[in-house]
Amino acid sequence: MGALRFEGREVPVLGDDTVASALYRAGVRTFTRSLKYHRRRSLYCGTGECPNCLVTVDGVPGVRSCITPAREDMRVERAHGWPSTERDLLHVTDRLHRLMPVGFYYKTFIRPRFAWPVAERLIRRATGLGRLPEDGTRQTPTARHLRTTVLVVGAGTAGLAAAVEAARAGERVVVCDEAPIGSRLAPGRTLDRVRALEAEIRALAEVQVLDRHAALGLYEGSFVPLAAEDELVQVRAERVVVATGATESHPVFPGNDLPGIWLGRAAARMVARHGVPIGERIVVAASTAEGMEHLSALVAAGANVIAAVVPASLGTEVPDGVETIVDGKLTSAQGRKAIAAVFVETSGGTRRISCDALVLSLGLAPRDVLVRMAVDEPVEVVGDASLGDQEPHLHEDGTLCLCEDVSLHDLRQAWDEGYRSSEILKRYTTATMGPCQGAMCGRALACAARNLEDVPASPAGASPAGARTTARPPARPVPLETLAAAVHEVIEKRTSLHEVHVAAGARLGWSGAWMRPFGYGDWHAEYRAVRERVSLMDVGTLGKFLVAGRDAAALVDRMFPTRIRDLEPGRSRYLLALDEGGFVMDDGLLCALHDGAFYLTSTSGGAARMDARLREWADLLGLHVHVLDRTAELGAINVAGPLARKVLELLCEDPLDADAFPYPGHREVVVAGVPCRAIRTGFVGELAFELHHPRSRGPELWAALMREGRTFDILPHGLDALELLRLEKGHLYLGQDTMPDDTPVKLGLSWAVDAGKEWFVGKPALERVASLPPSRRLFGLEFDGGPDDIAELRGMPITVEGAVVGRVTSAERSITLDRAIGLGWIRTTGDGFPTELRAGTAAARVVPTPLYDPEGVRVRG
Amino acid sequence: MALEVPCPHCGPRPFTEFAFGGEERPVEAADAEAEFARVYLPQNAAGPRRERWFHALGCRTWFTVTRDTTTNRID
Amino acid sequence: MADLRVVTVLSSGAGCDRVADLPGACRVSPTEVMIVGDASVEVLERAVRLEDPDAVVIDVSDGWALVLLEGPGAREAFARLSELELPARGFVQGEVARIGARALVREGGIGLLVPAMLEAHVRERIRTDCRGLVP
Repeated sequence: MGALRFEGREVPVLGDDTVASALYRAGVRTFTRSLKYHRRRSLYCGTGECPNCLVTVDGVPGVRSCITPAREDMRVERAHGWPSTERDLLHVTDRLHRLMPVGFYYKTFIRPRFAWPVAERLIRRATGLGRLPEDGTRQTPTARHLRTTVLVVGAGTAGLAAAVEAARAGERVVVCDEAPIGSRLAPGRTLDRVRALEAEIRALAEVQVLDRHAALGLYEGSFVPLAAEDELVQVRAERVVVATGATESHPVFPGNDLPGIWLGRAAARMVARHGVPIGERIVVAASTAEGMEHLSALVAAGANVIAAVVPASLGTEVPDGVETIVDGKLTSAQGRKAIAAVFVETSGGTRRISCDALVLSLGLAPRDVLVRMAVDEPVEVVGDASLGDQEPHLHEDGTLCLCEDVSLHDLRQAWDEGYRSSEILKRYTTATMGPCQGAMCGRALACAARNLEDVPASPAGASPAGARTTARPPARPVPLETLAAAVHEVIEKRTSLHEVHVAAGARLGWSGAWMRPFGYGDWHAEYRAVRERVSLMDVGTLGKFLVAGRDAAALVDRMFPTRIRDLEPGRSRYLLALDEGGFVMDDGLLCALHDGAFYLTSTSGGAARMDARLREWADLLGLHVHVLDRTAELGAINVAGPLARKVLELLCEDPLDADAFPYPGHREVVVAGVPCRAIRTGFVGELAFELHHPRSRGPELWAALMREGRTFDILPHGLDALELLRLEKGHLYLGQDTMPDDTPVKLGLSWAVDAGKEWFVGKPALERVASLPPSRRLFGLEFDGGPDDIAELRGMPITVEGAVVGRVTSAERSITLDRAIGLGWIRTTGDGFPTELRAGTAAARVVPTPLYDPEGVRVRG
Repeated sequence: MALEVPCPHCGPRPFTEFAFGGEERPVEAADAEAEFARVYLPQNAAGPRRERWFHALGCRTWFTVTRDTTTNRID
Repeated sequence: MADLRVVTVLSSGAGCDRVADLPGACRVSPTEVMIVGDASVEVLERAVRLEDPDAVVIDVSDGWALVLLEGPGAREAFARLSELELPARGFVQGEVARIGARALVREGGIGLLVPAMLEAHVRERIRTDCRGLVP
């Protein structure tokens, strides 16, 4: 079968060895060191629940060696202890544990102030569960969805039987188990039954079997994610059957974490399944039927069991040759590197039995973590998972939480300090917060809290102090990569001119969810093309909407503060969108169409919200309106510059002169054979025609314009040039120059509000705000001095004699005006604003906007 | 991904398909004081309440449901 | 997409009822029907306006892109992109690859209608998440 590599030597792998059984056979006795006190730890539960067997396999830490099949050429290392797990110098912390009581890091190393960061680093290095591999070359798992009628979690006898029953009733069934079916059972009756049921299940078409898939949690709607090595399966089930069985319970007494102490299943498997002896003098303490099975299996396999501590009722089942101690109570275990003796208290007194292995089967703890996550989801619990709560065996001291190294003594100390409920004890001591997440110790913690409270449990249930702590996902450890498999938050939108921009050598970048060209090489040249000649820009990202139907005008009139009543077909108007607080949410253009309908545009980022709001207000106001989002369907190209009309006239026979087509307005025209709605816009401050056209014909239209524009030295422009072009006109960018609580007054946009309108969304708020003293306003700015790249002033606080009075929101050096300009908000009391301002290293002053072509002559041409 | 919202047209769907529109409330109020409360002071009651939801990734219609804010169950 | 023909009908419930059972018709909402395939805007307009003179019928083919999932792995590929339960045949709309899309289930495969500006996104999702399941 081969060998695996372990800390420099070869370890043979036989039969169906797990990593743990192979190592154990080769003589490894100390597998880990406990988290805080570096106590030696060895194999214990055998079912992948406790932390004692965690090793690093092929560079990946946190592998549960007791349930991981051993493979040839695996590289296995132990992760704890310094300089090695075998000889761990940090074991001295166990002796110092009086100096490091529970919660010590909240109390010590705090003064002097520098001490904590140093101490923390040392503490971190001394604890921890291993190092993550540096190279993340694991293949990303895939994620998929799965709907079913019944999800059965756990493929033991109860789970498989429930699955068969549901399938025979005609239901769609999915059965999952975190391990290969039957792999955690020792040979015997139970395993035979599981194999028979498995054969029956696999023959049924309605049943899907997902083994090696661990259920991570139970969410609303009975949603259960299953994590496997290479995939995440997101199951939505109408009902869930929990058949996760039970662990053997973890008794707490002094010395209970010594190497050589085993839970029954682990011992039986190691001896009977893997054929590895666990000791010469074995003591078994069993009080369950399963425990007696393990005892028999050990004896049958030839293990030297010297004594069995059992309740009187099971006394007759002890095999011959084994001393029976009836109704004995384990009070402590002793030993240095491993167990050497166990103390048993009986009616006749306390006996010391020297032994080198102690096997415990003292109860069953139902694996109910999924059940406890449910609120009112239809969840059925079957099999051992449905067993009632059994009191765990708690003595006066001992290690309660193996993962976090928390003893009963620690709990008592925390209780004395005033932490008086299981939830608070958990957080203060970190008990149940380790890899097992309370699988081994959750009940013990609740029981210990109850004992400390010393109040008898009420008949209805546990006392609050002694309640089980809240169960939360994940129920099993899961790599972040697996959870990330289902997460896809990057959504990229593209216009139909995307390939055209790529071919033109554009620098593309994110603008919200859109991939847009920021420039094509030299944005200064692009800027000059717009100001002096003619240029094209892809503005297909704009939100575009048709609002039609008999109440279209009513909706637009009530939703927006814009004056609608005198907007004639063929005319357009700047549109502001306010929320009910009177705050500016979006802006765009409103075009009145000839049939009583309207065509609206919005900012690219606001498109989805505009569509939602149009529908919302139509619904709230009970209006008969049709809203069609045409954002995807239409592209838009802005042809801008003093020569824009000249280029268009070469491709369009419709009249475009200022009399036939005044500003602001829109016309249906045909350009280069492509039907367009041309809208005259003023955003960049030049003569401009925004051509809204069918998306599929965008490349053809762009090519024709570029071709005819060549005689005029046409260039395309992108977002970098646009930034300066609009800034020279004092036009704001929503989100960059505005804040979520900007009313039109604060932005200098009162002119866009029809104050005479009786009602529109946000009007009552504007009236209320109008009566309040003004707070801040957005102003045009000019700078003297400052950094070479004026854009660095963006975001800079504006100060007056050192006191902050505002902030720069946009800044750039104007090429045409040869001045450094910008926009920013400044606090104002209404009767003036400060004039001697500074922004970083620059002097600043308020200037009226627009700075470029203040009369707007070029736009209106 | 867990909570399902029942769209009247499309049926129950994961909540990620929806945008939440807040508590149901009247479109206008009697006076300035009531208007301020209408916009800024939701009832925020613990228990069942009427809410507005929008099926953003589906039929894009608005509807109202009753959801219990303490159990997160929708009728 | 040259071959794809999509017409949207916006009308009252009764108006939409008049065209909701035509071949290729999908009831997007109580007041919207999408017709995929050969459809005449004029014919539809006449039919709907008998019930609702206010109705709007528009060819919106340019707004949608068709992405096909074909072959035996089509349903499994879809399950990697979406939680939606697919009918044996017919129309369903909802979240696919994190966006709102429409799925038309026919013999031989699933046709995903996605907003045209998101076509590249969806194709990339299929390429990374559905490797080996669909061509």
